[in-house]
Amino acid sequence: MNECSFIFVPGMRIRDTHKETLVRKNAISILLRDGLDGFSMQKLAKACGISVGTLYIYYKNKEDLIVRLGIEEGKRMLQETMKGFSPDMPFAEGLKKQWENRSAYWLKNQEAAKFYEKIKRTHYAGPIQDEITKSFRPVMQAFVKNAIANKQLHFMSFESYWSVAFGPLYTLLEFENKGKSVGNRPYKFSKKTMYETLELVLKALTP
Amino acid sequence: MHILIFKTNVDTEEAHKEISVLLNAETSIIGWNIDREDIDKVLRIESRINNTTDIIHRVSTAGFFCEELPD
Repeated sequence: MNECSFIFVPGMRIRDTHKETLVRKNAISILLRDGLDGFSMQKLAKACGISVGTLYIYYKNKEDLIVRLGIEEGKRMLQETMKGFSPDMPFAEGLKKQWENRSAYWLKNQEAAKFYEKIKRTHYAGPIQDEITKSFRPVMQAFVKNAIANKQLHFMSFESYWSVAFGPLYTLLEFENKGKSVGNRPYKFSKKTMYETLELVLKALTP
Repeated sequence: MHILIFKTNVDTEEAHKEISVLLNAETSIIGWNIDREDIDKVLRIESRINNTTDIIHRVSTAGFFCEELPD
């Protein structure tokens, strides 16, 4: 059922987009601070300054809330990732675009990105991934297929490809997140280190 | 559609089953769930009509606590 299609009459409990934004922001903060086990609908309602009853108008339970927030955030992330990208791009150019978009999203939405990474490692990941990769996967598959056909990418297993193509980027973003790299060295993400790393990745992946 | 929210004491599988029989028989109800993880054991009902009083009466008669959670 489309949640937005509810028809309300005066005097009934009303959905309010301002409240939904408030709920989303607070839910992400609590989940990052207290973890999944420390998260409860009661705590969230209190943080938002709304009643538990109101919260349940929007969400059926904790699971419904986390899955829907995950889907929403995942879709936002993928939209950003696809900006100016096309599967027909030459491989090096397309991968560069992907790195630029992914890092820009991560740096602009740090809390949301951390939330998404966190729930990806939980049992909530299944329904979220199913929903958001529907449109994303065919595009990325086409990109890789074109690149191999055009001899711009070595043929390899999907896991080898992904870990080399994107693993290094997420390692740099993880360093940025901590403010430190290996051995507690202070680190600040920069385009310079990003492009430097990307160049090495392209050397490894391309014939 | 009306969304009706109640605080209950439905906290066991058995109690959940009893409530199921009662609510599934109610034709005005489109869907429902009880969040047994929550301290208020929140019963959430999607109903065609606003039958709050009737639901409280039915659930209470079956021997459970049931009170509307305010907005």
